[in-house]
Amino acid sequence: MQQQGKSSGSEMEVTWQDQQNINTFSRFNNRFHELEDEIKFAKEKCDNLEDAGNELILADEEMVRFQIGEVFAHVPKDEVETRIEEMKEATCKTLEKLEQEKESLVSQMAELKKVLYAKFKDSINLEED
Amino acid sequence: MSSSSSSPSGDLSERRGIPAAKFIQDVETYLSQSSLDSNSALAFHQERLQQYKVVEMKLLAQQRDLQAKIPDIEKCLEVVATLEARKGTGEALLADFEVSEGIYSRACIEDTDSVCLWLGANVMLEYSCEEATALLKNNLENAKASLGVLVADLQFLRDQVTVTQVTIARIYNYDVQQRRVKQVTPTAIAAADS
Repeated sequence: MQQQGKSSGSEMEVTWQDQQNINTFSRFNNRFHELEDEIKFAKEKCDNLEDAGNELILADEEMVRFQIGEVFAHVPKDEVETRIEEMKEATCKTLEKLEQEKESLVSQMAELKKVLYAKFKDSINLEED
Repeated sequence: MSSSSSSPSGDLSERRGIPAAKFIQDVETYLSQSSLDSNSALAFHQERLQQYKVVEMKLLAQQRDLQAKIPDIEKCLEVVATLEARKGTGEALLADFEVSEGIYSRACIEDTDSVCLWLGANVMLEYSCEEATALLKNNLENAKASLGVLVADLQFLRDQVTVTQVTIARIYNYDVQQRRVKQVTPTAIAAADS
């Protein structure tokens, strides 16, 4: 919210197109912050699954307590391995998609910044504070 | 109450009870048409901004609730799927579940065709595995759809907040500019007279 486009200068004409650009930039910025949180969460999940996989290799029991929902079910080691592999793959794919979306957002925001700064120069502030 | 300044077509005038903020093409025209002075216009828009913030808080709370509900439903689906997968094999499923914080107990789940689902309000119903899966999937779809609508509402709301903030800034700047002009003019007249 702090980082909205606000005209603090003198008599700058604001057209509907400018307003829409500012709105779009605001949307992108919000989505960017949401994405950062989602990426952090997905990375953590990926790391946890990685650690779980490694622990599994070291474990010598045949039955592993694997969390399904809220309970820990006794599942044979092989099945757990397969499940963890699947979960890791899914999470990594999600992480990749999120990173790509973030990159595209960053470039789109840079474009809009250029346009808005060109029109408003000092009257607008688009930086994080 | 709002002026007749043109809003380009294709935009909603309100969305699910949230009024849209009209974009002002020209501050001077807006003020004269609505016969408001700068202060009243500023007060009006600032009040609007507060109202928008209240609605935003409400929507954000709803969004958090939904975002917590969805993983819950997905976990239930996973459990039912596991039970269904075990159905044919005839072996019992051993599961450790939490009785209280730090205390777990072991349950032996025999081959079964039905599960009980907690529906809320102290009501639990028994369903067959297929029905349970169907019900949970339905709930999941509804929750995701509601979340989608909510996110769109929030985006619309944030746009209106941005428009209102820019409008407030513009009216303020216009006011400052007018005061400057008023200050200059008497001095200019005095200089011309003398």
